[in-house]
Amino acid sequence: MSLERKDDYDHKGWMKEKDLTPVESTFLTTLIWLDKRFRIVDYLELMETLYYRVNLQMPKSHTEQYNLDNKFWYWYPLYTLGLFSTLAYVVAAISGALLGFYYSPSAAAGTEAAGSVAYESIAFIMRDLQFGFMLRSVHRWSAQVMVAAVFLHMLRVYFTGAYKEPRELNWLLGIILISLTMVFGYTGYLLPWDQLAYWAGQIGVEMSLSIPLIGEWIAQLLFGGFSLSQSTLQRMYIIHVFLLPFVVTTLIAIHIGIVWMQGIAEPH
Amino acid sequence: MTENEPNTDDDVRSDGSGIVAPDDETPTWRERKERTVGLSRLTYEYFERSRREDQDMRQASDYVERDVLAFPTWPHEVIRNLAIASFFTGMMLFLSATLPPHIGPPANPSSTPAIILPDWYLYWSFGLLKLGPLNPELAVLGGSKLMADRTYGVLANGVVVGFIAMVPFLNKGSARRPVEQPFWAAVGIAGVIFAFTISVLAIKNLFPGNIHLLFDLTFLAPIVGGFVTYAVLKTMREGYMYDLNKRYYRLRPPK
Repeated sequence: MSLERKDDYDHKGWMKEKDLTPVESTFLTTLIWLDKRFRIVDYLELMETLYYRVNLQMPKSHTEQYNLDNKFWYWYPLYTLGLFSTLAYVVAAISGALLGFYYSPSAAAGTEAAGSVAYESIAFIMRDLQFGFMLRSVHRWSAQVMVAAVFLHMLRVYFTGAYKEPRELNWLLGIILISLTMVFGYTGYLLPWDQLAYWAGQIGVEMSLSIPLIGEWIAQLLFGGFSLSQSTLQRMYIIHVFLLPFVVTTLIAIHIGIVWMQGIAEPH
Repeated sequence: MTENEPNTDDDVRSDGSGIVAPDDETPTWRERKERTVGLSRLTYEYFERSRREDQDMRQASDYVERDVLAFPTWPHEVIRNLAIASFFTGMMLFLSATLPPHIGPPANPSSTPAIILPDWYLYWSFGLLKLGPLNPELAVLGGSKLMADRTYGVLANGVVVGFIAMVPFLNKGSARRPVEQPFWAAVGIAGVIFAFTISVLAIKNLFPGNIHLLFDLTFLAPIVGGFVTYAVLKTMREGYMYDLNKRYYRLRPPK
């Protein structure tokens, strides 16, 4: 038994008989060198498979086959509302992360008259922070726009019958998402801890208290008690910046993934 | 696995390891799956079936290779959306530059403001809390209400969300356009109008006019809107179906 490499593995001999250009041989040498160490050919194969998976969807769509372009493109702006809400969500996430650097969720009395620490940190962002006024404005507007876009998206799906088989589960997921979007908005509304926030929080506590059987438990869980306090603000903050971002991002990913798998439902 | 592999005898695993190199007798994964019983067997059989079905569909279809009969999300939808997406982002930045938010006076638990409101998108939920007059007074209970007005309003939220969730299971079939199903389009329009009117009811203390009239309109306007939609679509459908039929009979003339 010899220790010489067998023919199939003699890459150098194989390259010699191929008569390659300098570019090709450099590429192959590098590839072989790397492949011996990292087995990258396996990964390249994976990438190739993915590439073809993605691109195999290319041929004629339903719209093209039945020549529905005139019907479809007329309503096209309504078909982009889902993307628009995702976009607003991303903008809100970025501006929200920046706002989070300067906001502190404390209902303790601040240094100035009457305001709490939370209120004063918002005032600081709006008055003293470079670009802070715009930052808060962007965050608030992207939130408003997201809720509006999500609602209109739901109407579009309803009126084009896009929730029908096989998309029922995605409709249910969408209902969960629109509810969570509103919870997102509500918890964010409470964070400045101004008069509007405080009394909206009061109504929230009263609403959860009037749920039969589990009302008190819900009030304890969400608001940290039956009246507003530091723990209310703290919980709203954690729900807004920690819990909901994870949950909603995951659900959005699943929602869009299902749309990707099933394709956009077109009007017939 | 040990019960599935009688070939690997006791003497082989005297060293304590259960791992033996596969020989010709070793069942393949496919054989192992076929040998299972009960639910896992059913799962396996169904997967095989659906895979064969997909294969048949692909071969029968005019498409080269397509898993779904719909508009492809990638790349068609995504690429076409990009232009409109940058426009929207610009619009959001424009809005926030021109209409910056306001911050009110700091929280003061001892003074209740005259106007308490959530953000606009929760007005509908807030409005449902004001359905007190609809809460039935039962004669059996001596004219007292079964539940508090507020509980009634909170439960109404659940009813609204529950109804929306049930829509795909109530309305089936392949109809996609409102004209094809005037009834469901009418339900949709009624719902949209109701979302609007209940939001106005939520801010009734800012409403310039008769509150009782507003309360009645909250429920009448959606019904009227729904009826009008139904009538309009029913009428449109005549012409629409005429068109469809014409096209159909031109393709397949009657014998």
